[in-house]
Amino acid sequence: MFLALKEIKHAKLRYTMITMIIVLIAWLTFILSGLGNGLSTLSAATIKNLNANYVVYGEGSGAKFSKSLISASLKEKIDLQSEVEDSALFGSAMAAVSKEGINEKTDIALLGIEAGSFIEPKVIEGKKLDKNIKNGVLANNSLQDKGYAIGDEIKVDSSTIVLKIVGFVENETYNHLPVLFSTVEQWRAYQFAAPGANNGIEDVVNAIVIQSSNLDAESFNKKIGGIETATKNQAINAMPGYMEENGTIVMMLVFLIVISAFVIAVFFYVLTIQKSQQFGVMKAIGANNGFLTKAIVSQVFVISLVGILIGVVLTYLTALVFPAGMPFNLNPTLVVLYGFALLLISVLSSFVCVRQVSKVDPLTALGRVE
Amino acid sequence: MQRLEVKNMTKTYEEGGSTITALNKVSMIVEAGELVAIIGPSGSGKSTLLSAVGALLQPTSGSVIVNGKKIEDLKEKELSEFRLNEIGFILQTSNLIPYLNVLDQLLLVKKMAGKVSTVDQQFAKQLLSDLGLEKKYRKFPNELSGGERQRVAIARAFMNDSSVILADEPTASLDSKRAFEVVQLISNEVKKRKKAAIMVTHDERMLTYCDRVYRMEDGVLTLQS
Repeated sequence: MFLALKEIKHAKLRYTMITMIIVLIAWLTFILSGLGNGLSTLSAATIKNLNANYVVYGEGSGAKFSKSLISASLKEKIDLQSEVEDSALFGSAMAAVSKEGINEKTDIALLGIEAGSFIEPKVIEGKKLDKNIKNGVLANNSLQDKGYAIGDEIKVDSSTIVLKIVGFVENETYNHLPVLFSTVEQWRAYQFAAPGANNGIEDVVNAIVIQSSNLDAESFNKKIGGIETATKNQAINAMPGYMEENGTIVMMLVFLIVISAFVIAVFFYVLTIQKSQQFGVMKAIGANNGFLTKAIVSQVFVISLVGILIGVVLTYLTALVFPAGMPFNLNPTLVVLYGFALLLISVLSSFVCVRQVSKVDPLTALGRVE
Repeated sequence: MQRLEVKNMTKTYEEGGSTITALNKVSMIVEAGELVAIIGPSGSGKSTLLSAVGALLQPTSGSVIVNGKKIEDLKEKELSEFRLNEIGFILQTSNLIPYLNVLDQLLLVKKMAGKVSTVDQQFAKQLLSDLGLEKKYRKFPNELSGGERQRVAIARAFMNDSSVILADEPTASLDSKRAFEVVQLISNEVKKRKKAAIMVTHDERMLTYCDRVYRMEDGVLTLQS
């Protein structure tokens, strides 16, 4: 630390420049992670929020809600299984809604759930779903920005259905759309209005969500028959576009981290070569390789740490100026995680110089090698 | 007390198929409190001898004994520790670390060994004021004159309180007035702190301060006067 800090203090410009590079890389990394997190929230927040462990789909649906149709009567059989603690019906549909006084239609996801079941989200304003109010819905609070309020009657496009907002929930998006939670019956009335759309299955739903701490999917599928069980994570990954979006962002993040490793390695490699003479002198007066290595590595550590911290601050500042509609959601855990990853990679890359240091011959200090 | 002994040391190099003998059965003894000079034309092997004594170079045969310790018995890893504890180098053109101030140049030596204590701080300041640098503690090498830099290098060599001081052309870049001062200072410190010191030099004017003078020619060391 002694040499590291003294040198940084002495050669401010040089070290400011390399710190700036780390700041920019860290900044971009954190913004990308926020964007990735925002997109994945938009795509599957509702599924992530489910207080459940497994999802049961119809056989052959590949864990996709849109491809799955099963009968609600299966719920009885599922509930009888000893490993199942609780289960709930789930249905999804895409729709566009409008209300009088608002010209623009709004795309939404209409999700059918049972009133009072464990997957019903917490209401932040208004009342919960009620079996007796057949057309009552809970709306994601982003609809408030579009001019919707409690008690509003909203028309569903391509149907004669009129829904009524009874409450608002927060952070509920599905398939990149804000969610309207309705009763399963209301959802069926919309989704299967055309005769035969339900494949002839009675009391149809898309899926049954299960709470269970210990469930073997394969044997469970056999016991019930005609179903396909996925973990909650598999269900999230199967959401349309989820893997693709995440994959793109993760790829960019990995590239950034690799780039930062190389930039730092090259910078300190060149610096080390430049300082060979100095290292020779220090070796001649008794420094061992460990001492010099520590000096370089701690220098990289300090510079990376400062760069990353500045990057974090800048990221949170930029988050303030991003437009409200932007899918940007900083997750502090992820910020810490990527911060540590960058720090670790930088420090590891500085070990490239270690070989260089051990090659320096202290004889160079005498000014001539005979 | 006998501090430094070189016994029958030979160093040969292979170069382009022929063998060059840089040192030919060199033997010498330096007692504590003695400053010994080695003079001779360039290429005669003076620096090779200094490097071997300073544990920077392995001789082909023969041995160096410092305080009863044979250098050739040391493992590669112990050599840096040996240099740190037993040898003080005064290098040509001072070779200070550009980003450390005068005081830190000295404390660096202690840092290499571990922690810097307040006793070390006091010792460093004492050394620097002995050498007339008491007003320059916070100066960086580029803010010092050549003579001052060389004095810092001298102080640094004494900092580890080693038994042996090796000076490699300490006056090379100085005018004669400064050169005399520097050699006088080295001589004073060597006497005062009871070091065994070897100084390699071109400059025959500096020999008045030395207890004995050896001449090196083609790898053969002979005692003069």
